[in-house]
Amino acid sequence: MFKLNLKIALRNLFKNKVYTAINIGGLAIGLTAFVLLLLFVNHEANYDKWNPELDKVYQIRERHDFFTPDNKQNWQEVNESRIGALLQQKIPQFKYITKVDNSWGDGFALKVDHSDPIIVSNVNDADSLFFKVFPYHFIYGDRMTALSRPNAIVIKQSIAHRLFGTDKVLGKQIRVMMWRSDKGSLMTVTGVVAEPETAQSHEFNAIIHSGDREKDPEHVDNSNYCKIYALAHEVLDTLAMNKILQQVYVDFKKASFVKRKINYNDFYKNGKTPGLKAVQLKMVHSSPSYGSNWLTQIKPIIALCIFLLLISIINFVNLATAQSVQRAKEVGVKKVLGAYKKQLVLQFMFEAAIQSIIALFMATILVEMFLPTFNHHFGLELSFWYNKQLSAMVWQLLGLLLLITLLSGFYPAMVLSRYNPVSVLKGNYETGFRGIALRNGLVVLQFVIAVTFIIGIGIMYQQTNYLRHKDLGYDKSRLMNIRSNYEESFVQRIKRIPGVKYVATTTQVMGNTFNVPEEIIYDHQEFNVNTVTVTMETLPALGVRVLKGRMFSPAYKQDTVNTVILNQAAANLLGKNVVGKMYDVRDSKKKHTFQIVGIIKDYHNEGFDKAVLPTVYKVTRLGGTSSTNNLLVRFEHDKNETAVKAIEAEWKKSYPDFPIKYAFAEESFEKEMQSTNRLMQMVLLFSAISVVLSLLGLFALSAFMAKRRTKEIAIRKILGASDLQIVNMLNRSFLILVLIANLISWPIAYIFTNNWLAGFAYRINVPIWPFVIATIISVGIALLTVSLQTRKAAVNNPVDALKYE
Amino acid sequence: MMIELKNIEKYYANKGVKSYILRHVTTSIKQGEFVSIMGPSGAGKSTLLNILGMLEEPTYGEYHFMGEDITAMNERKRIELYRNHIGFVFQAYHLIDEMTVAENIEAPLLYKKIPGAERKSRIADVLDRFNMVAKKDLFPNQLSGGQQQLVGIARALVAQPSIILADEPTGNLQSAQAEQIMDLFKKLNKEENITILQVTHSEKNALYGNRMLTIEDGVVKEDVQIK
Repeated sequence: MFKLNLKIALRNLFKNKVYTAINIGGLAIGLTAFVLLLLFVNHEANYDKWNPELDKVYQIRERHDFFTPDNKQNWQEVNESRIGALLQQKIPQFKYITKVDNSWGDGFALKVDHSDPIIVSNVNDADSLFFKVFPYHFIYGDRMTALSRPNAIVIKQSIAHRLFGTDKVLGKQIRVMMWRSDKGSLMTVTGVVAEPETAQSHEFNAIIHSGDREKDPEHVDNSNYCKIYALAHEVLDTLAMNKILQQVYVDFKKASFVKRKINYNDFYKNGKTPGLKAVQLKMVHSSPSYGSNWLTQIKPIIALCIFLLLISIINFVNLATAQSVQRAKEVGVKKVLGAYKKQLVLQFMFEAAIQSIIALFMATILVEMFLPTFNHHFGLELSFWYNKQLSAMVWQLLGLLLLITLLSGFYPAMVLSRYNPVSVLKGNYETGFRGIALRNGLVVLQFVIAVTFIIGIGIMYQQTNYLRHKDLGYDKSRLMNIRSNYEESFVQRIKRIPGVKYVATTTQVMGNTFNVPEEIIYDHQEFNVNTVTVTMETLPALGVRVLKGRMFSPAYKQDTVNTVILNQAAANLLGKNVVGKMYDVRDSKKKHTFQIVGIIKDYHNEGFDKAVLPTVYKVTRLGGTSSTNNLLVRFEHDKNETAVKAIEAEWKKSYPDFPIKYAFAEESFEKEMQSTNRLMQMVLLFSAISVVLSLLGLFALSAFMAKRRTKEIAIRKILGASDLQIVNMLNRSFLILVLIANLISWPIAYIFTNNWLAGFAYRINVPIWPFVIATIISVGIALLTVSLQTRKAAVNNPVDALKYE
Repeated sequence: MMIELKNIEKYYANKGVKSYILRHVTTSIKQGEFVSIMGPSGAGKSTLLNILGMLEEPTYGEYHFMGEDITAMNERKRIELYRNHIGFVFQAYHLIDEMTVAENIEAPLLYKKIPGAERKSRIADVLDRFNMVAKKDLFPNQLSGGQQQLVGIARALVAQPSIILADEPTGNLQSAQAEQIMDLFKKLNKEENITILQVTHSEKNALYGNRMLTIEDGVVKEDVQIK
């Protein structure tokens, strides 16, 4: 029976080649998108799950406002280093507590013997307990003692190969330079660890143990920040533990404030609260300190994948039910021969399963083909066949197969098996022609999805276009940003290079922004602003525009004493006519007074999802300075290759042990735009596919309809209808469906795109034309598709059709 | 007694108006009879045949098949019964287009869950008897009408039914082919004692049988034995 059913299924599929191809091809495309998504979700969901021991590892998070992008308090992964010792003392539930540096900047330079140094990212200084908390597998070396002495380095296997060309490197020495003028310290390789099977939230290429991480700053006013992880004796009740941590932390803060002569209530005001908690390691990746977690981020993509799969399933259901007329006789005869309904349902489900299996097979091929592009596009390293979770994937795919078979096969199977043998065998198929209402509904649903996609593209295109051409407030061309701090002698030397116009530093530029919050008192009122430390040439180098007052200049002695420039956002915050006015900043003991000398136009230094913060720019050291690795170089001309070469040469002369790293402002801008562009490309791809699939479905469906109405068409023609009248008659039903779909998708698309736009601080109003164009496109292409079929039916000689009956 | 009908009625109610197809049909058919049901178009012949074949249910009345009350049976039981005892032959042959001759003949055996070896021997046997061994791998559309009907009959016979219900089995055939089919029916009836019930328009075909049941307007008008 099974063999016979298989044969019938294959013969049927072969007989209707075009529809089979549309069914299976569509499903394969839908599945491909889904499998890629599944790979990504599996990768993300399995962070930090490479060893069961990790269930007992916790990340400690402190609530503070240092290093935050929005100058607000946040649960941060980097904590004050003293908390390590505090937990050691007060929390007996923790067996080991380790402190490890966060990865700042671009990485350290590693040098083996006399070869050129290379920059390696994610090289972290840790205390001696790191590998007691994290059970990494040591290929060489001993996990328990690897970091017990200072100047030890443990490297990942891949880094060993990169540095030495082999992983048998135990006992060899690596010179580690942490910044450009660092003489470096010689470290001995005490371990080579294997890359775990799943991704890690604390990702490292090498762990060094300099011995510094063991110590806390001596002076109470100084603090040092690092990540803290704890290994508990057993899996903890996180809620209960966090209550204890909170209490311990509050007591600790109070004691420390007493020493620092700070009033506890004064410090925690305006919504600021103290906080310390433990997060189970496997939850760390899905609950990031800032922004939304990966699941929220890919929600639109999940929706796209599901819609795509849905469209292909709808094609499947529609074509199967439309085709059912062809199978009606088979059903009738089989019933008369003694088949139970259940057997027939199973037969048709089986046919759906065969097609799904073929589609899945094709999808795996497509996945293999597109995975490299996909990985490249999203900066991932996913693989299918070499996936460490392949066995789990296989189960997921089988589940998916079952689901698709049920979704696509169940309804057609029910329709088919319900045929009444008596009426079918009498030759009366019309009464047996079921499911028209459902099929129309599905066509509408398909087009709702497709039209919504088209509108989506239009609006996303408008928005990205708007952002691309939006005035950034600074000139991003001919601007280079070297990852280095401002050192006068080096700056003087590169200033002499022909073609270099300005050299400056700032803590605020697109690609590397560091916000320092400050409270100022202006006109007896307190305001929160962001402060940026710059040099004289920074604002001209960025090419920002002065709205009122003046820029900093060496001509004014006062500029190195106590003058500031505001951006427009800050000026608006303070009120009217602020140029020339004074404001105060209260330091712990003293009061500083600054004079506002100018207002510049807001310029963008972060993604367009964030509004420009009210910001104060100062050159003076008064009230403290900050610095990050930004050395801005503005060139005179567009042709600046020789100047860049000269800068590189100058760098090599000054800092032979640390390779230069730089980016052009235009590249940084592209990077900021990337997430928006990616989503746009995804939507573009998915909508193109979904539109094509919907149209293919419509094409096949209209073919069936035309076939079914052959006799009706013949009779109408004999009665005097013209070809055009017939085509119109056949088109009308589809036209109505597509129009209904448009009406439904307009509000849906409006809500979705409006939601998406709301994520931008700078955005367009929802324009009308994408809606109009989507309607014209969908109706036009649908009509064209259907007409191709109906015309064929209409121009046929009616005599043939009637003779056949 | 093979078949006993008591007061069978069939009607469709439409807006309170009953339109009768069959009225007060009471008759019985014995094992080994060859009965021809005659009558004008729309008289209810096919409906009667469908009721006998358990494809339709009577609105009212009693139907006993081999002593069992059909009207009180559930569907599963009914399918079981006709699967084992009834073979159908249709005017339009109703072979499954996607199956070869051999596969078409095999289909009812599959539903009877007959083991593979026996299926093969039975199919071979039937093909041999009908002189169609050479055609066993052809599809229905590669055969003539007469040949298709032979396959239809072979399919009905292969399950070894005790009764064959034929709805105008020669209606689509030319007279030479029709005669061949009718001869075959007669032979099956005589030699293998298979009960045959056919619906026909043709007096000539009816004479092949040994009993003639005439229906008009849903009522049995005549019931005559043919010598």
